[in-house]
Order: sequence, then C-alpha cells, then structure tokens
Amino acid sequence: MSDPMLEIRDLRKSFGGITALDGIDVTVDQGITGLIGPNGAGKTTFFNCISGYLEPDAGTVAFDGTDITGDRTPGIVREGLVRTFQIPRELADMTVRENLLLAPRGQSGEALTSAWFRGDQFATDERRTREEALEMAEFFELDHLLEEPASSLSGGQRKLLELARVLLTEPEMVLLDEPLAGVNPTLEAKILDRIHELQAQGLTFLFVEHDIELIMEHCDHVVVMHQGGKLTEGPPSEVRSDERVIDAYLGEEL
Amino acid sequence: MALADFLISLVTFVAIYGLFGLGLNVKFGFTGLIDFGHVAYFMVGGYVTAVLTMPAQVTGYDGLGGYALPALFGAVPGGTLLGWLVGVAVGMLAAAFVSLLVGVPTLRLREDYLAITALGIATILNEVVLSEVWLFNGPFGIRSIHEPAAGAFPLGLGSFTVNLLVFGGLSVLAFAYATYRVARYVRAASGRRRALAVVVSLAFAAWYFVQPLLGAGNVVVTLQTNLTFLFDPNAGPNGGLDYDRFFMLLSLAFLAGGYWWSQRTINSPYGRVLRAVRDDEDVPRALGKETFRYKIQALLFGSALAGAAGALYTIHIGFISPDQFGAMITFFAFASVIIGGTANNAGVVVGTAVFWAINSGTQFLNDYFPSEYAVQLSASRLILIGIILIVILYYRPEGILGEQDYDITLPGDDAADADVAGPEAGSSDATAAPDTAEANGGGRDE
Repeated sequence: MSDPMLEIRDLRKSFGGITALDGIDVTVDQGITGLIGPNGAGKTTFFNCISGYLEPDAGTVAFDGTDITGDRTPGIVREGLVRTFQIPRELADMTVRENLLLAPRGQSGEALTSAWFRGDQFATDERRTREEALEMAEFFELDHLLEEPASSLSGGQRKLLELARVLLTEPEMVLLDEPLAGVNPTLEAKILDRIHELQAQGLTFLFVEHDIELIMEHCDHVVVMHQGGKLTEGPPSEVRSDERVIDAYLGEEL
Repeated sequence: MALADFLISLVTFVAIYGLFGLGLNVKFGFTGLIDFGHVAYFMVGGYVTAVLTMPAQVTGYDGLGGYALPALFGAVPGGTLLGWLVGVAVGMLAAAFVSLLVGVPTLRLREDYLAITALGIATILNEVVLSEVWLFNGPFGIRSIHEPAAGAFPLGLGSFTVNLLVFGGLSVLAFAYATYRVARYVRAASGRRRALAVVVSLAFAAWYFVQPLLGAGNVVVTLQTNLTFLFDPNAGPNGGLDYDRFFMLLSLAFLAGGYWWSQRTINSPYGRVLRAVRDDEDVPRALGKETFRYKIQALLFGSALAGAAGALYTIHIGFISPDQFGAMITFFAFASVIIGGTANNAGVVVGTAVFWAINSGTQFLNDYFPSEYAVQLSASRLILIGIILIVILYYRPEGILGEQDYDITLPGDDAADADVAGPEAGSSDATAAPDTAEANGGGRDE
C-alpha cells in the first residue's frame, strides 16, 4: 500500500455555538472508502472543509503528501481533488453539452487572450474537449440530451451530469456526496461499475451514502462519523457489527 | 432641421450608446455582474481621450494637458487620425484601469451589494471630476474637442451630380439592403416576432417618408433629401458628405468593431466560463476555474468598450462636463439591454435603437402640440419607456430577442460544426423552447 491519499488531522469547525467538526482524524487510502453517519454528523461540513468551500478553524488536510489546508477550491481541484454536491448544481441556463464542455482541464481557450487571437492550440484544445465531453456523455447515457438545457434534466440525470462533469477534470480523488440518491437501479449499477473501473485505474473515492448494504458491498474501508467526530473505522464487516455504530446509526444489526 | 439630419444624429446616438450597452452586456448579460456604475467608465474614456487629443494651452481650460496626440503623429500620412485612435485606445485602457481599482475590492460582494457599491463609486468619481478643477477643469468642462479627420470634410468627389449619384446611391443601397434584411426576417419569423417586425418597419416608413409630406414645403425635395440621407446638398461648393454623416459612419464602424470583439469573446471557452459564473459561481470553481479572475477580466473588457463609447460621445456633443455623466446614463443602458435582450449582443443594439427612437424620435410630436406642453411631452416619453420596460419584463423577461445562441467555430471542420450548431440553431425560437423544456423537466421529475 502506498502513502495515504488524504490525511486529515484534528480538523475543527464550528458555526457560532454549534461544533460541526470536533477534531476529527481521518486517513483515506487508495481505493473506495465509505463515509457514513447519522444526519447532522458533520459529513457535508467535512467535505466542505476538505474541498476549500469552508476554511477549517484548526487542523490540517494533506492531499497526496501536499498540505492543502485553507487552500482555495480551484487550486485544490487542479491538485486533483474534486467533489460533487449533495444537491446537484447543474448550470440551468446552459445546455448539457456546455455543462460538460466546461469541465475538461487544460483548455487554452479559457484564457481571454487565446479567445481573442485563436492560435492553433485553441482549435486543438476545443476539439479534444468536445471529444472528451461526448465520450463522457455517452458513458453516462446523456448523449441524447446534449442540446437540452440542463434545467430540463430529471433528478437522476442531474446526478449523472454532476458526476460526469467532475470526472472530466481528470481527478486523482473524488469526494462523492450521496451520488446514488434518486438514481434508478440500472443506472446505479452502472455508476458503481464505473467507479470500480476508475478505481482499478488508480482513482480514489470517498463517498457518503446512506444505503448500508451498498457501502458493505462496494467499499474497501468504512469511516463512521458521529457528532462531529469519528466514531470508528475499519473494514465493512467489522464496522457493521460494532456496538457503537449500531446504537448511533444502524439501529439494529444487519 | 431636415428629417435626414435628425436620422443621422439619431443613428449616431444609437451607435454610441449601443457600444456602451455592449460593454454593459459583457458585464451584466454574460457574467451576471450588476454594474450600476457603468457610466463612470464612459466618463473616464471620454475625458482621457479628450485631454490626450486636445491642443496644449487652450484658453479657459485649467486642467491637465492637453497633450495634442494628433499633432504629435501629424508628421506621418494619416497621422492625425492615428493620433486620435491612440487617444481612444489610451482612453479605453484608462477606463479599464479605473474599473480594476473599483473591481478588486467590490467584486467579492454579493450581486446586489455590488450594484449599490458601484453606483456609489460612480457618483464619487463624478463628484471628483466636478470638484477638482486642476484635473479636467471641473464644472467648466472641455470645449475644445478634437474631431478626427475633420480637415477632409465636407468631402466632395466632383460635380454636384457626381456627389448626388455616389452618396445618394449609397444611401439608396443602404435602404435597399435594410429592406431586404427585414423582408428576409419577416419571411423566416412567425407569430408575434413577424408582426413586430412588420409594425416597426411600417412605423419607420410612415415616420420617415409619409409624415414629412403632411408638413409644409416642397414634397419632392423633402422626399429626395430623406431618401439620399448621406448626401448633404449644403456641404461644400457642390454638396457631398459632411462631417456629421462621416461621424455617423465612424460611430457605426466602432459599433461593428465592438460587436465583433464581444461576439468573439463570448463564443469561446472563455465565454462559456463567464456564463457559468453568471449561472452559479460555485460550479466553475468546483471545476477548477479561477472565477474571480474571469469576473475582473469581464469588468475590464466591458469598461473598455464603455470608454470607447465615451470618446465618441464627446465628439458628438462637442463639449463635456461632469453633469453629462449622471447615473441616468447607466440606467438608460440597462433599460436598453433589458428591452432588447439580456445576453444578446444584437438585442442590445435593437434595444438601444428602440430606447432612443422613443426618447428622441418622438420629438417631432412637439410640432403638433402647443409649445407650453414641451415639458410634459418630455416626461411622458420617459413614462412610455417605463411602461414598455414593465410590459417587457412581465411578458417577455428575456427581452425582445431573448438570449443569443452560442457557437464556437473552429477552422476546417465545417461538418462537425454543423453537427454542433445544428440543433441549437433549430431551436432558436426562444419563445417556445424554454417552456417546452420546463414542461419536460417537470414531467420527468415525477
């Protein structure tokens, strides 16, 4: 096993009197890690602090050996750490195609001067971007919707668009905030297949999910959060028989 | 004043304010920045260009300069025009620079706070120019505005007949082309758009060609003057193209340049990021884009276009003072952009034309009312514009033309491009498309 992808030490964040993260330590290795916990356990705040949307009050976040504590989101994304939103945030006024075209990295045409002067690189990059976006759309079965405004997508399709978009940024690690909520079983299986496929290519996933069966089946490792701290962590089989996890989250042994 | 002269003045006005509106559209339409201080950059562009092109030591002027750029470049052929263009370029840079100073602290604000702050800063800048006489002569303004290439006008090409044929012919061609375009549009469009195009064209024809016939004077001469609007019989010994007409063409050229430049900026991956920032800034951030930089650049670019418009404005008016740059100018531009179509560059020009046609084009109505009603008439124009604005916002919030279509054309792949552009162009009837899309979305959610 190589060095940990994500190493979080003593992360703290409070909002006024409410402590959302109470000195949590989490280490995420390569593979697929599940993050579970009751509502209000601080999972989303945890994601926000890692991905640069919130600045933690204390503690450190190291990604792939680099300290990214308090860095701003775009820089963290360029390092290779991206996240999805729990409620998908499609760009409603733009088409599905444009939503996807936005994501691929290294687009020289996104610089103002390049947009004005349009050298050879401009066309090359835009063609590559279009190809990548089309491939990704085909994989997620969004290719027949490319010219539709993103606002016309169903809830499940928005989840797919969100996932397709972050994968186009060529990440090394993806934080998935309930990526399967509202997705039909066929697509769910397809997304999970894709996640395993990408994991085999070296991508790391950390995902929040409430379906415990799914976590047990697909994760190599599970972290359980409770009241802003880490309750326990370990292989799925150990975690599900842990008394504290059953009390705090599962309610009964499965 | 002949109606042709009035049309020349109106078109010049529309071209200048259209360019100003294009700048606002880059900020507001495509990037979502509500800049209520847009007029400040109009003012900066106007003043800086005026001072740079003004001769040194003008009597009655106690401000900075002038720096007489046209005279400086005068040694080379066409140098005075070049000197003026350099002045405009510096004016645009100055406008962009001032917007940078304004933007860095304010662009992190939420949109409504940004709007109010920008309005405040524009007012402060105006007060500074008004109070600091050493800067740009304060309330006394600048009376000596350099007119580019003024020496070449009135331009005559020979005998009266030649001038009439050339400039008159060009005018007729312009009308013919406009008629052709309108006819094509009417054939292609349907429903309300078609009706609107027909009504507007007929109204223009009635105003320009029929209405003068009702007044006193020689009908044939009036009609001929109106038709051959580019030909001024009183310019020079044999008639010709006078400076006002040339300046209209120059302003239209600037408008066309600004339009092309803005279109090139928007129809690019760069423009794609701008629109993403407008829709939800967190999304492009989550995809690794430095959104703050994009917002600053859009602000600078929009302000530079406003600066160019300011430079033209000073020449058209022939005199500048701070009271010409009140906040009303910004709101006129907002009204124009909203009427024509937010995030639609063609719509901005249409909206500006509608706005100024109502505001200035109805002045002939004054002739039909006793003169003591002039004040009421001028107020009722603004009331009319307000009513149009409300009607448009209620029935068609996306403006007359709606948001424009986007297409990034790449060299050498026409087939692939047609594939990309095809469906978008097909659904360009903006009235129907969003409604159906929403209905579909609602259906699928359940």
